[in-house]
Amino acid sequence: MDGLAITLPRIGWEGGNAYGVGCLVRWSDAEMSVVDKPRVKRPTKAKTDQRAHEMLRMMLLIRRFEERTYQEYTRPGQRIGGFCHLYSGQEAVAVGIAAVFAKGKDYLITAYRDHGHSLALGMDPGAAMAEMFGRATGCSKGKGGSMHLFQAEVGNLGGHGIVGSQIPLGAGAAFACKYKNTGGVCFTLFGDGAINQGVHNETLNLASLWKLPVVFIVENNGVAMGTQVERSSAEVELERRGSGYHMPYQAFDGNDLDQVIDVVGEAADRARAGSGPTYLVANTYRFRGHSMSDAMKYRTKEELEQARRRDPLVIYEARLREAGAIGDEQLEAMDAEVRKQVDAAVKFAIDSPHPDAQDLYSDVYSEKYPLEKK
Amino acid sequence: MPEIQFREALRQAMVEEMQRDENVFLMGEEVGEYNGAYKVSEGMLAKFGPKRVIDTPISEAGFSGIGVGAAMCGLRPIVEFMSWSFTWVAIDQIVNNAANVRYMSGGQFKIPIVFRGGNGIAHQLGATHSHRMESVYARVPGLVVVAPSTPFDAKGLLKSSIRCDDPVIFLESEMMLNDRGEVPDGEYLVPLGVADVKRGGKDVTIISWGKCMKYAVKAAAMLESEGIDAEIIDLRTLRPLDVNTVAESVRKTHRCVVVDEDWPYGGMGAAVLEQVYKHTFDDLDAPIQRVCCEDVPSPYNHYLEIQMQPSPEKVVAAVKEVCYR
Ligand SMILES: Cc1ncc(C[n+]2csc(CCOP(=O)(O)OP(=O)(O)O)c2C)c(N)n1
Repeated sequence: MDGLAITLPRIGWEGGNAYGVGCLVRWSDAEMSVVDKPRVKRPTKAKTDQRAHEMLRMMLLIRRFEERTYQEYTRPGQRIGGFCHLYSGQEAVAVGIAAVFAKGKDYLITAYRDHGHSLALGMDPGAAMAEMFGRATGCSKGKGGSMHLFQAEVGNLGGHGIVGSQIPLGAGAAFACKYKNTGGVCFTLFGDGAINQGVHNETLNLASLWKLPVVFIVENNGVAMGTQVERSSAEVELERRGSGYHMPYQAFDGNDLDQVIDVVGEAADRARAGSGPTYLVANTYRFRGHSMSDAMKYRTKEELEQARRRDPLVIYEARLREAGAIGDEQLEAMDAEVRKQVDAAVKFAIDSPHPDAQDLYSDVYSEKYPLEKK
Repeated sequence: MPEIQFREALRQAMVEEMQRDENVFLMGEEVGEYNGAYKVSEGMLAKFGPKRVIDTPISEAGFSGIGVGAAMCGLRPIVEFMSWSFTWVAIDQIVNNAANVRYMSGGQFKIPIVFRGGNGIAHQLGATHSHRMESVYARVPGLVVVAPSTPFDAKGLLKSSIRCDDPVIFLESEMMLNDRGEVPDGEYLVPLGVADVKRGGKDVTIISWGKCMKYAVKAAAMLESEGIDAEIIDLRTLRPLDVNTVAESVRKTHRCVVVDEDWPYGGMGAAVLEQVYKHTFDDLDAPIQRVCCEDVPSPYNHYLEIQMQPSPEKVVAAVKEVCYR
């Protein structure tokens, strides 16, 4: 696998191996070779043009939101603090998951690179930006920051700052779905670096043992900070890290929105049907550095150039154009709208108050214990 | 009043709360088919079935995190650890997730979960299996830390803990599970965050909790024969600390000894002692004394292990020192 980590496997199922469950048919290396154009000419998965536009628009919103975040972070008089990780390049993963996400039933949990998922699940960009500005109107009242965006009412279980730490929480949410028989699933996301944490092993085993309705999704952007997959994982075909747990595993092109919808949707259906977890690897790429301080010395110009040709927005836009589902005018209008929305989000954040000094002490406990007085 | 074992009191609490609320369930290593490593959950699998009494593989971090995630989504897990010593490998889930998520989300999620199991030095289990974890968890805002010393308190406190909307660290001791004590038949709760004056006295305040309460009680009896009337306070909850009850007592006796089995440096007793000083410095007639473990890993040898730990005799000596006797 090269640094791009783009493979386009198509996975088939074959019923009835020794264990009586589906087993994976792997495609040949040639078939999984790196490509830089959408290989298959096909209509989009969106049922209507309007739906397709919404998804493209959301990817664009995330992209513009992240660009603006970068500007706000790096401008003199910095208004965003702490660690901040941008999602640019990986948008199709979050938007594809959101497309199959059953609101009111499902859950999603991810790591600190969480702006994209939060927006895709419907977080108001103002609430997200205000959180990064540390304002009282932020989604977490300014107490979480960029890495810890939460939105309980849509099932967004948050961004989590400790690498791998959220993996069992996601299985726990799935446990609750199963216990209460809600038909919900939990999309549990983590990076290629996180798969080397101990809880990854523990949780995969527990989730499969208990047939929890969880879809594990590795967002494989090829690198953990500055450590390429080749230098962190003895097995570079990361989907195989899901083997040994008696669950289906599969890699796919995480930059191709339609493929995300297909593959993740199928895994979610399996989970909903009571067949347990699936281990998915979304091969993708992050255009920005790991966090704001990263000069990306570990990347070559050629690699970046090649990656740009595999930009998920470009791929989807091209597909819609080919299908005659969108044109220049609509795209321009869409972009103008999105930019306005991001401007408004920043304005909302700037105009919002900082939390009160008293807010320091709230939200530590649910109850007031008799003797804890300030 | 019927007399029952400490372990039965714990079991009654879990059974009653599971009958009361179907979102309560128990999970942990060997809690089901094996009937509990220490037989605390004996019979519970038969009563509630495998959906609610769940055997886990040996994956403390994994199932602790699953518990926290389930709690975020409306369930009320009881997670049993074979020993609190084994939670060093799960600490990220307890501290970063159970304790932090409510705050980091601006109060969007509550985490109603109880982590429970044996804490502290049992008998000749050596350095890896003898950890006292109260100071590790009681320093973390967002956690409630409970350490009962009698079957009555164990039942009432565990029921309150299960109903609590915040994560509770519930510290038992393998050495107490066979203890017997009176527990009434009917339903009752013991409130969290409230200490108990277990013995009234006027000369000195002895503060302790959990297993070490035994040393305090024995010491008080020994001191009585020497004409020293000790008041004993059982903290019962280590976070939040019932500073008022403690301070009230020390203002009366003007002398204080803290008894715990943590290490001397940075230990739980040191934190309690600091609170007592802060609230009662002007009332004290002598520096507070602390009786705790020696500053070494827990030894295996029976005699060394005893030497390492507090004892009634050590408590008596400390009391005499603060009483200048
Ligand atoms: C336990 C832990 N160790 C180290 C870090 C510092 N750290 C933050 S992100 C990161 C890289 C993780 O990479 P990956 O899982 O691939 O996710 P990505 O950043 O690529 O989205 C590291 C080492 C951390 N937050 N937590």
